[in-house]
Amino acid sequence: MILDTFEALAMVSAIFAILILGTTHLRTNLSFYSLHTMAIAAVTAWIANITHEDHLYLVAAGVFIIKSWGIPWYLNSVIKKINIGTDGGAFIAAPLSMHLGALMLGLSFMISQQIPGLIGEPDSRLGSTAAMSILFTGVLLMLTRRAAISQIVGFLVIENGIYLFAVTQTHGMPLMIEMGLLLEVLVAVMVAGLLLFNIKKSFEHIDVSQLTELKD
Amino acid sequence: MIAINTEAILETLAFVATFLLLPPLLVGIIRKTKARFQNRIGAPLLQPYFDLMKLMSKGETISKHTSWIFRSTAAINVSLLIILAFLAPWTSLRPFNLGADLFLVIYLLALTRFFTVLSALDAGSAFGREVTLALLVEPAVILCLAAIGSVSQTSDLGVAFSFNNVSLINQPGLWFIAGCGLFLASLVELSRMPADDPTTHLELTMVHEAMILENSAANLALVEYSHFLKILILLGISSQCLLHAIPFFWHTSQLILALASILSIMILAASIAIIESVAVKLRWTKLPEFIAYSVAMSIFCVFIALSKNLN
Repeated sequence: MILDTFEALAMVSAIFAILILGTTHLRTNLSFYSLHTMAIAAVTAWIANITHEDHLYLVAAGVFIIKSWGIPWYLNSVIKKINIGTDGGAFIAAPLSMHLGALMLGLSFMISQQIPGLIGEPDSRLGSTAAMSILFTGVLLMLTRRAAISQIVGFLVIENGIYLFAVTQTHGMPLMIEMGLLLEVLVAVMVAGLLLFNIKKSFEHIDVSQLTELKD
Repeated sequence: MIAINTEAILETLAFVATFLLLPPLLVGIIRKTKARFQNRIGAPLLQPYFDLMKLMSKGETISKHTSWIFRSTAAINVSLLIILAFLAPWTSLRPFNLGADLFLVIYLLALTRFFTVLSALDAGSAFGREVTLALLVEPAVILCLAAIGSVSQTSDLGVAFSFNNVSLINQPGLWFIAGCGLFLASLVELSRMPADDPTTHLELTMVHEAMILENSAANLALVEYSHFLKILILLGISSQCLLHAIPFFWHTSQLILALASILSIMILAASIAIIESVAVKLRWTKLPEFIAYSVAMSIFCVFIALSKNLN
């Protein structure tokens, strides 16, 4: 099995996404997220190189600047302001959820073997494997973590998975749509960050499992 | 078979001299790099050799309550590790291949730990923490090596690591991930920083040191030397994995390969020192999280091997 470069990069991004699951230390989570997104930007640039779709270079630059630098930097400053270093406690222990994520990678390999229509020219089953495993990883992050900031990271990882699926299967959407998506993600993270401040102010914690209790 | 000619004899001599003389130098490199990071000049690079010689000439104190196990453990461990140095693929320059089955290598390593633990039990030192760590880290080592073995269709590590195995030539991902996993695992196996502080003087925080507190003089020198040999072998195996990931080394001459493997072991030793300088010792309850990373790497290796065997 000789890997294409973009498939290898997609697998690298999937592996970094799984490594996010392994620790509850929020800063480490964010730096793994940043590396993971860098790999996705590299996938985009490489696909632009193969298919000569020049607008994908712009998308790659946008992903690199906004998602792998801007958002982690912003979330880091939020963490510093609300003064929370680690996730209070995961529903599944972090090492276990990382191994679960690794098993999900194998599962998504098997699923993407079954999806009809993917085995065309070019054969990009590994790209879809990586995308699906990133999706599962994001879902695991959102399901197993308590701190609201991990929910944001989980949402971002899911978004990356969908984006990677689109970019490896269809070789990119029009520039306007991609830019609109980037802007929406940025706005969503900004709003979620502001929401975090308010949650922290009124509840004095950011544990999502206790947000169901009413309090004024 | 060993052909009797001068070249083979010279190669063998160079090999034996390397694995006998290199280990203390590695520790010297680690200590020197750490010292430079802490803005100290540090002891000279050859200090571990002097330490060993000093220990050899000192008078030994042995507890009255210990048995022959305590006396013979150090010698057993050194001889086991010398056998391992002949078997394990820690360098690309091996004058002969004796057939190193991967389980033989792993369990010879485990046997040295078994004897260390036994002598600690004999002398009444603490050994539980080391055993716990060994238990956690063993699956990672086995799975990494087994994945490489399954792709190369052999359990002989000497064949799998020989740089002329066609089934492994286009697997940089497998080699790189296995190298990272084995390096993380060897940090724990060698009782280095995230798992254990090798310079600690507080018995409660010791992991490896706690087991050898009762040893002194020549006995201690042998124990230390066997630990140095273990550093050489484990770092050697992970550096060989990383070297195999670089396509350049598949098409180069034997001499460059031998030099590169020695150099890469030294680079890994220096990177251990850098890790120890920038990271802190993890809390005991946080350690499974660290080891989980190495186990996750090994699971990725297994997946790569599986997908390779499916196609």
